[in-house]
Amino acid sequence: MSINTAIADRARANEALTAAELDELATADILSLGMLADEVRRARVGDVVTFVRVGASGAGAGEAGEVRMTSLPETLAATVAAVAQAKAATGGSALSGFSLADIIDRGWGDLAGVLKQLKQAGLGAIVEAPLDRLSNPEAALQACQDAGITVQSLSLQKPNAEGRTPMLMQARALAARFPWLTTIAPLPREQSIAVPTTGYDDVRAVALARLALPGVPNVQVDWTQYGPKLAQVALTFGANDLDRVSVTDDETLGRRRTSLEDVTRNIVAAGFQPRERSARA
Amino acid sequence: MDLKAFEQRIESGSRLNVDEALQLYRHAPTYWLGRMADGVRRRKHPAGVVTYIIDRNVNYTNVCVARCNFCAFYREVGHSEGYVLGFDEIYQKIEETKALGGGQLLLQGGHNPDLPLAWYEDLFRGVKARFPDFKLHALSPPEVLHISRMSKLPVPEVIQRLIASGLDSVPGGGAEILVDRVRKLLNCYAKASADEWLGVMRDAHQAGLRTTATMMYGTVETDEERLEHMLRLRDLQDHTGGFTAFITWSYQPEHTERGGREATGIEYLRTLAIARLVLDNFDNLQASWVTQGGKVGQLSLAFGANDMGSVMIEENVVRAAGAVYCMDEVEIVRNAEDAGFAAKRRNMHYEILGDPFFRAHHVPRTLELSTAREAGDTSEPVELVNYPARSAAGKRQRSQPPASPVA
Ligand code: SF4
Repeated sequence: MSINTAIADRARANEALTAAELDELATADILSLGMLADEVRRARVGDVVTFVRVGASGAGAGEAGEVRMTSLPETLAATVAAVAQAKAATGGSALSGFSLADIIDRGWGDLAGVLKQLKQAGLGAIVEAPLDRLSNPEAALQACQDAGITVQSLSLQKPNAEGRTPMLMQARALAARFPWLTTIAPLPREQSIAVPTTGYDDVRAVALARLALPGVPNVQVDWTQYGPKLAQVALTFGANDLDRVSVTDDETLGRRRTSLEDVTRNIVAAGFQPRERSARA
Repeated sequence: MDLKAFEQRIESGSRLNVDEALQLYRHAPTYWLGRMADGVRRRKHPAGVVTYIIDRNVNYTNVCVARCNFCAFYREVGHSEGYVLGFDEIYQKIEETKALGGGQLLLQGGHNPDLPLAWYEDLFRGVKARFPDFKLHALSPPEVLHISRMSKLPVPEVIQRLIASGLDSVPGGGAEILVDRVRKLLNCYAKASADEWLGVMRDAHQAGLRTTATMMYGTVETDEERLEHMLRLRDLQDHTGGFTAFITWSYQPEHTERGGREATGIEYLRTLAIARLVLDNFDNLQASWVTQGGKVGQLSLAFGANDMGSVMIEENVVRAAGAVYCMDEVEIVRNAEDAGFAAKRRNMHYEILGDPFFRAHHVPRTLELSTAREAGDTSEPVELVNYPARSAAGKRQRSQPPASPVA
């Protein structure tokens, strides 16, 4: 089905599309949807694609735009200590870490207080707030705001095509309430090996995120998780930011560990200008 | 560039010349190319069907004297990792393929100097004696040429003898880029020049066989040379009409002598789309999910492809060069249907065989493709002693008594 022109015009004018309009766009043919998302993206954020090189703390960390902690220790005291230790080894790069949902699930008490402690230990930002794992995202983000710590992206833990429109509507409301939320990562963090999301699913999710969220400038794809091919194609469906480009260039670790040359080559080949960025904090 | 004028010409079925194709390939927006290619695909396949084949991709030997510098699969004659599959191993693979609903082997291998024509004839006859309806889509043009050179028989005679033994169709491998400048740089000119590759295909078509055609891009060729490749195929297809399908994929550089970087996903989709526009006399274009992954493989269906290729079951060549994607029948069908198509099984002639096999039979899921053999198994099949070896290493090996099995 081709795109309803009235809906397309409203998207071009940066108007807030209704849930019914987003549902209708989701049924449009994939190329028409991609073209519209690409047009809207170019009008909103131009033809630059930003990317961040993410490393682990320790040797070589200084090259990374961001050093990221992923596994969350069991106790708050251990986490505070681990953050302080990682901060000391960042080589000057910003330190980010963790999923907001994981921190809440630990049940360490008053969330804003916990986040303040992590910030004081040196954590510059929480990596993500997976909307489908937060029972009260507004309260959780309010706690972040109260603690003075940012969340780098609104994300999605599990694939859920049926729940996509409500999630986008929720993301739009949250971005209006918390203007420091500037990035959405619409592709799920978890994939089933037996039944992964399809290419169509992924680029449709990216395009709809771009069209649904006029107030969120960055639509992000995880370069390491999704691989250069899908990530590159996603750029032409409205994405403008690549997260988690590996800082190392060690090909023996597998074909998805990609060098700086490869990420810039993929961005240019998709018709965009690459720009390396530092951490969002 | 007047895209509107191109649009009208493509929609009216006018043929693109090389300059026009080059202009579009280099400068047309990716979405425009996709829409045009998708339009041509719709006109050729209006029923909204995406086809696929259940067959097994078997590489009967990895021993090869050609030494193409883009290849990570081959082993030199006498190499400790060199292997030749035994007839019984191949029959076993056919049994397994049939159990998964397959009806064909895609059988290709290295240019092994120690396998004479009689070995191929005996193998094919053995397959047909045991599995009369099972199809052999076997021996790409450079392999046919290799057998012709080894046996000192002209290509048409080799083809006739192979047909008489059971050959059903010829895969379009070994084409790389059909331009001799490129072939020399890739060290694959000696195995088959562009004219020789096309000549074998002409002979095969004249002998009544249908074949596929391929293109591996992303090494040293220019855009012009990619299009020259397509135009040479288009010319032959005008004369013989023998090609059933075109399959393109990007060079996989890992573990190869040539090295370098793989072309990007967007480049693949653009190449596929321009092929759909240029190859107006080819009905079928396959998606190369084995090199691009399932996701970009599925997106190929919006850029001109109408076929998801093969379930494969087994893969050795692309895996050796670093790509490890797997799609079983369930995944291929799910991807085709998710893209809005009806998924149908086909044979090599693109005749529809029916609905997905797994829907009517219990078939276990396959999340990883098999390999020719277990890693490290280089055991020598017993029947090889019946065939004279040409190489010194082969002669030495065949003069030794077979190793007794370990108790
Ligand atoms: S591509 Fe084929 S002919 Fe060339 S080296 Fe590899 S196995 Fe041999």
